[in-house]
Amino acid sequence: MNGNPIVEGFIEAINLIVTLNPQVVEITIRSLYISLTATFFASLIALPLGALIYFYEFRGKHAVISTLQTLYALPTVIVGLIVFLFLSNIGPLGFLRLLYTPGGMVVAQTILIIPLLMGLTVSALSGIDRDKRYTITALGANRLQTVVTIIAEARFAVMAGVLLGFGRAIAEVGTVMIVGGNIRGATRVLTTAIALNTSMANYSLSIALGIILLGVALGVNIALSLVQRR
Amino acid sequence: MKMNTTLLTAGIIAILLILAACAGCTSPAPGGNETPNATAATTAPAGGAIVLRIATTTSLENTGLLAELERVYENETGVDLQFIAQGTGQSIDSARRGDVDMVLVHAPALEQQFIDDGYGINPRCIAYNYFIIVGPASDPAGIANMSPVEAFRTIYAAGTNNTPGVAFVSRGDNSGTHNQEKVLWEEAGYNYTTEILNAGAWYVEAGKGMGDTLILANEKGAYTLSDEGTYLSFADRLNLVPVIAEGTELLNRYSAIAVNPAKYPSVNAEGATDFINWLISDEAKEIIGNFGTEEFGKPLFIPLYAPECTEPPFNCTCAEPVPT
Amino acid sequence: MTIIEAHNIRKSYGSLEVLHDVDLSVREGEVFALIGPSGSGKSTLLRILDLIEPPSAGELSVFGIATVEDRGRWLDLRRRMGMLFQRPIVFNASVYDNVAMGLRYRSAPGDEIDRKVKGALEAVGLSRYVGSRATDLSGGEQQRVALSRVLVTEPEILFLDEPTANLDPGSTATIEAIVTSLNREAGMTVLISTHDLMQGQRLAHRVGVMIEGTIAQTGPSREIFHEPKDRRIARFVGIQNIIPGRVVSLREGLTVVVEAGGKQILSATPPPGEEVEMVVRGEDISLHRREPGFEEAENLFPATVTAIEPTAPFVNVTVHCGCDLVALVTARRAETLGLHDGMLVWVSLQAKAVHLIPRSGAG
Repeated sequence: MNGNPIVEGFIEAINLIVTLNPQVVEITIRSLYISLTATFFASLIALPLGALIYFYEFRGKHAVISTLQTLYALPTVIVGLIVFLFLSNIGPLGFLRLLYTPGGMVVAQTILIIPLLMGLTVSALSGIDRDKRYTITALGANRLQTVVTIIAEARFAVMAGVLLGFGRAIAEVGTVMIVGGNIRGATRVLTTAIALNTSMANYSLSIALGIILLGVALGVNIALSLVQRR
Repeated sequence: MKMNTTLLTAGIIAILLILAACAGCTSPAPGGNETPNATAATTAPAGGAIVLRIATTTSLENTGLLAELERVYENETGVDLQFIAQGTGQSIDSARRGDVDMVLVHAPALEQQFIDDGYGINPRCIAYNYFIIVGPASDPAGIANMSPVEAFRTIYAAGTNNTPGVAFVSRGDNSGTHNQEKVLWEEAGYNYTTEILNAGAWYVEAGKGMGDTLILANEKGAYTLSDEGTYLSFADRLNLVPVIAEGTELLNRYSAIAVNPAKYPSVNAEGATDFINWLISDEAKEIIGNFGTEEFGKPLFIPLYAPECTEPPFNCTCAEPVPT
Repeated sequence: MTIIEAHNIRKSYGSLEVLHDVDLSVREGEVFALIGPSGSGKSTLLRILDLIEPPSAGELSVFGIATVEDRGRWLDLRRRMGMLFQRPIVFNASVYDNVAMGLRYRSAPGDEIDRKVKGALEAVGLSRYVGSRATDLSGGEQQRVALSRVLVTEPEILFLDEPTANLDPGSTATIEAIVTSLNREAGMTVLISTHDLMQGQRLAHRVGVMIEGTIAQTGPSREIFHEPKDRRIARFVGIQNIIPGRVVSLREGLTVVVEAGGKQILSATPPPGEEVEMVVRGEDISLHRREPGFEEAENLFPATVTAIEPTAPFVNVTVHCGCDLVALVTARRAETLGLHDGMLVWVSLQAKAVHLIPRSGAG
């Protein structure tokens, strides 16, 4: 038995970070890479869809929005399970050979945060008050100009939503564990590495990766507050 | 609005550049023991380095043996070995679905089923060690020096009599170790599903890997069945001691089995063949046979050589190369 | 020439009817004020006239073009008009970009935008903020940005929806001055909604009183102030005395009305019916210490002072003479008269100042 695993682990963790331990650096970069890519694709899909929902009146619009809001809390393991079943070799998308690859993890995280990004896009656009919309119309904007102006005006709120989505993506463990398989050197990311190293009683590495994950979360929050101050 | 959009675009580009610069300055850092992460992260299995995907057991992954084998093999061949650590049951399922190219597992009955069903081919046994029954040094059920089957009967009796301090933690995850545990219960004369699973509070299902299960048993002061390798690599953090470490019932044999390309043409059958053949080479067996000596004073695994492996209790193929 | 012609406009949001039976015609080059209490539908009507939203029913033509059938022309028509809203609305962008919005929507050339935006900011005294973020400005400054944004598009009709309701007196004066000069010098037609009667009177050639979703009365402001068509309008324009009575006879071209207390009062208004209400502005009632020796007023009678309420620089004096009357006298005159509770005074009131309206159902 060691003296105090927490204190020793923490000191060792700091050491791992300061000396840029290759394993720590590699896992961190992969995590950022996968979650940023997922956030990018999710934005590409969710932002226009969110705008579409906001700008078009259709039957069941309220139902769609409340469904989206329910899906904010979509359990990550369920997304993981569904994506796993689809991407598995015998699943409908098995031919893509994406299971246990970073690409598959990007797909899973993209799906995971699309409802969040869509919902937050709708709320961001709804945050543009009626008088502003009247003003845009009164200034002689056509349909397209109106849409562009409203989106531009909501850009900081939309960006805040994107940041939240990224935060959810990088912090989740359920989907990437199932879909990625936690392969060392290929699909191991911050969260799965923390889970594995904790189960291996490798606490210092877990703590080091945990500190980095917290740092990323903190960075997202700082960016969020900067954006929201606009 | 125009000026602002320009600013915004500039900001986004700046962030991307910084990220790219970060990736650029840090990615050369990993030493030889790491896979070339930049390519591994960006290439699908179709292009770039050849990827061999192996579903394996947590007990192998947790000891660190796989990392050692991976390092040597990747240096020699450039093949990107990707180990997915799951329970043996789940690993064989992954293989049945064609999600991996081969398995490295330790549950003879499941392995045989996998091969009989036509999904697994070219099985080769690689190494073995022993399962051990570990428990608190006080041995509350008094099983020391018993045979494994006797010990299980005694634990059952003590547990169902609510003897204070007697508990048993099961992996409960259909892993190789879990399957071995089930075999022992059956041999002791119990029906696992009807008698053991509902036996009472003393029987705890962890549903986790070997390391986690050992830690859980340690916290509860309970008995558990573990593979020797994982126990040794965790021993310095545990108060548990090996209570029973002898008996052929506790033999733990590891095998490599390729996925049948006739079932899944897309699997990397060639890579699997090459790796299996490497695993049964003297070079690999030497690495396996020495692994852990330095750290634990004794090897964690004993490589299998012909003709020993073809005789009881092993009865497997360990030397004959897979035809390429 | 009539530039806006609205007939029978109705507007409902769900089951809530906001406008009904609105008839309005505005002449080219006039300043027309819509006055009315909050919630009377002024803003909604302006939005409909500016073609921001369609009416639920009715006919509307702008610039002589019927709009109801032809939604395709709305954008072109709307681009010939402009609207300034009550709340200062600026977009999260620079002052320059805010002011340029309307011109950019119209795909104006860059150098023209630059020239007009800078000119407009100069005119409202905000040149030094051209690069500032508009949301960082004060409310009054934001409203001036919003006004510039409308004016650079050179609208032929300018709608102002309570443009100064939230502003300090200085910014209010600036905006009023700009509106007046635009009308006089550029001949711009202006529709302004306000709940401030004085502002309506100051700026407008004609006034429309909006009450409960419809335009109840239209005319020059003097007419609205002195000859409201009904009790609600009278209340809204701040008439202190609304006294029920009954027409009993006609005498020398004047109408004789008996109020509940039995007092006879003469009015110059032809009787609108038998049951009437007398509408008398407080400032038209004169108080005297003793019976005036020579008085042109047709109504002259003694009364007792029952209440004195200062509303600087005036004093509301309630007198009792069978009915209660409220007279508005200057503070100085109140002092000269030495008014106090219980004091006996003489009241004089010209028949012209007693306006008769038909008695409304609810007392």
